[in-house]
Amino acid sequence: MLDLLQAISDGLLFGATYALIGIGFTLVFGVMHKLNLSYAAASIGGAYCGLLVLKVAAGAPAGLVFFGAFVAGGVIGWLVYVACFHFIPLSNPLATLMSTVGMLLLIDEIIVHVTAGMPQNYPAMFDDVMLHVGGYTLRGDLLLVFFLSVLCMVGLLALLYRTKLGLATRAVSQQAVAAQLCGIRVARVNAMTFIVTGLLGGVAGAMIGAAVGALSPLLTAPLTVKGLIVTVIGGLGNIPGAIIAGLLVGGFENVFQLYRGVTERDFYVMLLLFAFLVFRPGGLFAPKGSRD
Amino acid sequence: MDFYYGLAQIVGVHTLLGLSAYIVLLTGQVSLAQAAFFGIGAYTAGMLTVLAGWQIVPALGGGALVGSATACAVGFPALRVKGLMLVVATLAFGEGVRLFFFNFDYQVAKGGIKVGPLGGEGFRQIRYFPEHGWTTGEVMLFIWAFVLAAMAALWWFDRSRYGAVLRAVGEDELAAQSVGVNLTAVKVSAMTIGGAIAGLGGGIYAHYTTHIEHSNFNVLVATFALAYPIVGGLSNVFGTLAAVIFVQVFLIEGLRDLGDWRNLLFGALIILAMNLRPHGLFGRRSA
Amino acid sequence: MKRIAIALAVSLAVSGAALAQEKTIKIAGFGAKTGAVRSFGVNSEAALLAAADVINKQGGVRLADGSKAKIAVEFYDDRCTAEEGISIIRRIAGTDAIVAVGPTCSNVAEPLFGILQKKVDDKSDSGLQMPIFTDVAVKGGLAKISEWSFRNVPSEWTMYSSLFYWLKTRNPGAQTVYGGVEEDFAHSRASWYAVMKDRAEANGYKVLGNSKWLLNDSNFATQVREMKNANADIVAIAAHPFTTCGVLKEMQRQGVKPKVLIGLTSSSSMETLQGCAKQAEGIIIPTSFAPVTKEGKFAAETTAKFKGAADLHSMAAWENMFILKDVIESEKVSGNKGEVQADRRKIRDGLAKLKQTKGLLGITKRTEDREADKPYLFVQATKGEWKVLHDPL
Repeated sequence: MLDLLQAISDGLLFGATYALIGIGFTLVFGVMHKLNLSYAAASIGGAYCGLLVLKVAAGAPAGLVFFGAFVAGGVIGWLVYVACFHFIPLSNPLATLMSTVGMLLLIDEIIVHVTAGMPQNYPAMFDDVMLHVGGYTLRGDLLLVFFLSVLCMVGLLALLYRTKLGLATRAVSQQAVAAQLCGIRVARVNAMTFIVTGLLGGVAGAMIGAAVGALSPLLTAPLTVKGLIVTVIGGLGNIPGAIIAGLLVGGFENVFQLYRGVTERDFYVMLLLFAFLVFRPGGLFAPKGSRD
Repeated sequence: MDFYYGLAQIVGVHTLLGLSAYIVLLTGQVSLAQAAFFGIGAYTAGMLTVLAGWQIVPALGGGALVGSATACAVGFPALRVKGLMLVVATLAFGEGVRLFFFNFDYQVAKGGIKVGPLGGEGFRQIRYFPEHGWTTGEVMLFIWAFVLAAMAALWWFDRSRYGAVLRAVGEDELAAQSVGVNLTAVKVSAMTIGGAIAGLGGGIYAHYTTHIEHSNFNVLVATFALAYPIVGGLSNVFGTLAAVIFVQVFLIEGLRDLGDWRNLLFGALIILAMNLRPHGLFGRRSA
Repeated sequence: MKRIAIALAVSLAVSGAALAQEKTIKIAGFGAKTGAVRSFGVNSEAALLAAADVINKQGGVRLADGSKAKIAVEFYDDRCTAEEGISIIRRIAGTDAIVAVGPTCSNVAEPLFGILQKKVDDKSDSGLQMPIFTDVAVKGGLAKISEWSFRNVPSEWTMYSSLFYWLKTRNPGAQTVYGGVEEDFAHSRASWYAVMKDRAEANGYKVLGNSKWLLNDSNFATQVREMKNANADIVAIAAHPFTTCGVLKEMQRQGVKPKVLIGLTSSSSMETLQGCAKQAEGIIIPTSFAPVTKEGKFAAETTAKFKGAADLHSMAAWENMFILKDVIESEKVSGNKGEVQADRRKIRDGLAKLKQTKGLLGITKRTEDREADKPYLFVQATKGEWKVLHDPL
């Protein structure tokens, strides 16, 4: 029992990194109804750029590296928008799907070329803090990631519901043509969405780097898959849903791993996901009469 | 010369992989499960020739059959959902199949050594072609006979009433349904045909690489199965072939002389292609 | 018009004569220069180029007719995929390269050796007839797939055997071993189950169990907890640098401090130190290369000039080049354009004949099934560098 509870709490906490990636995926999908498959790679790319801070100023505090990743993530987000979305007609979701696949491969390969594919040590905050509660241990740095993802959620919701940009974003997401007729520059709103999700992705990438302890191009593929899973389980475009879904995925992973071993772990996660999607296609918090 | 024959073999197998996604895409469904059917065909056909000692043609038929049966079975539940949900549902199924092969051991002793799939270490020595003295050119002709048959069949489907129904469902499900099209039947049949083609391609893949393992059937392969028809365009089967040639012959082999730049250009040129031809290389502007 | 024709004929004759004087022997290299394993391909290519440069500066290789030929190296990127590996070896077979050195990944080597002719002179087998001399792919027992495949990779079986034997005398208090294995990578998986576990037990250790993870996993809390509960004296990690680092960091968090830490031979490269020098401190790894001999230092320095790092893998490529030079000379390779296939056969037979070869650490024994039994050392991560801990030979 102790093992099970510990496994669940480990998994839930690590799930915070999935949640952070999931938020970005779900936001782009919510606004543009498009899939951005390069998002996880771009986030990791932003985190790599954060390491440049250490190149310039050796021994800089971890927070500065994270800030570098944050800024770089925004820039990469904008580049992804220009390269993969701006010039492609919005009515063609398959084309942007493929252009983002191309971007995923490109970002991966740029990382590989710069680092020769070698894993890079990543600084962390509170990585030596282990909280002991009774017989259990909790990783301090993952608690930070968790609080950060909640903070990001609050920030994003505030941005969406309290600012003019948020109003425009929501308008575009609901009825792009009508929004345009009301004088909203749709392209600009879309670009802003990518910059905001990019900034968020930079933080997510940095947090993942810190939680794992090292960055490697090996991270991008599994994170892309996890991001997709979290987006659909949480409900498309549902930000709080994405956080809960991220934690759930992390938790389930660890439970299956404990009982069925690592080789069968993902098999059961995928089976569960398949059943979930087929029987509850609207996600965890599907409203009655969910939309397409 | 063997090199070109070998390249033509690769183009042939990837065309089958792309065509299996093509027919599903016609109905407007984006499936990431094609690599799974490909893998099922590969393992089935490999086990039939190596373990059961079958001839190559019936073994490939067996692979196609098991691939299509699986596709049909998974089509019923999976096609209840669409859009991103379907993408992720088929992704989950595909990864599930891959992980099944990762855990799949079935070895028998044959001539003193153990042969057959062995979990994470894969399934080696599927040497039907070299053991029977087939040259690279003969194998290529053999593969292309299947590819041309599959292309001709799909071309004919496209021009028949069935093809019109497929595209009608792809364009507007609601409208198709309202004129009496049975959506489930159309989608599941497309999935089944796609599964058969993927299974056939997988069977050939197993035999011309001689060694398969679970990672040969991962998400990246599933993504490329989709990429071929999308990059090529959905107006006819030649788009898929053109995209396979673009990726396998031009991007992978043709740019080899550029050395390190090749890897970087790979992704960049796919982005460029989608920007310049969003409806595919051979695509029509329909939407 | 006539004048042009004559000029053309003369120039052709001159260039033909020049070609006849200056033969080149083409040796193809291939490996992964794309993806997470890129450093392997880059280093192998550098080592091949460096070794060929050294040979060429000494005049080149002597051919059957007594003339000297320069060695030309061409390197291909296989992206660590089976299909591309096969495509490349067919491309190489279409050139006048007489031997290929590679690949990086065991999952490329397996299908590649599979398309080669299984038994030499078996007319009914249409497999490719091209000698391949592998430098990196290290999964055990691969060369027996074909009589055209040869490897110059360390025998993990021998190295870990010796390592556990040596640990027995050095740390007599240590009795128990616990393993960690990267389960979905052919090489690391085989290294634990078939090598480390087996060899530990053979040397009288009690193996308490093992934890498993996957190549691109990033959360190791459960596995390290199992490791902690086992509380073994020795922890052996059969994993590549990325997950090795992940596990070492989690061990630090959970306070798992075994008396001895052992790593996978492929992780004795710069990658591990790049990823987690602090946590890797003290890990012991057997390896078939360290710049301890004069030849080793020279090889490492020369390879560095070609922008490659010297490690057990790339230095195998370096050794291969010199072994091939000896084989070319002893087997009387002609170097003629029309006799490429005959030359390839000579190389194959020459490699098959070798009972031992010269390596950077000393004499390498060649086995009946075309594998190498290389000399080795134990290295230990010390302050961000690999230091030689013990030379068992």
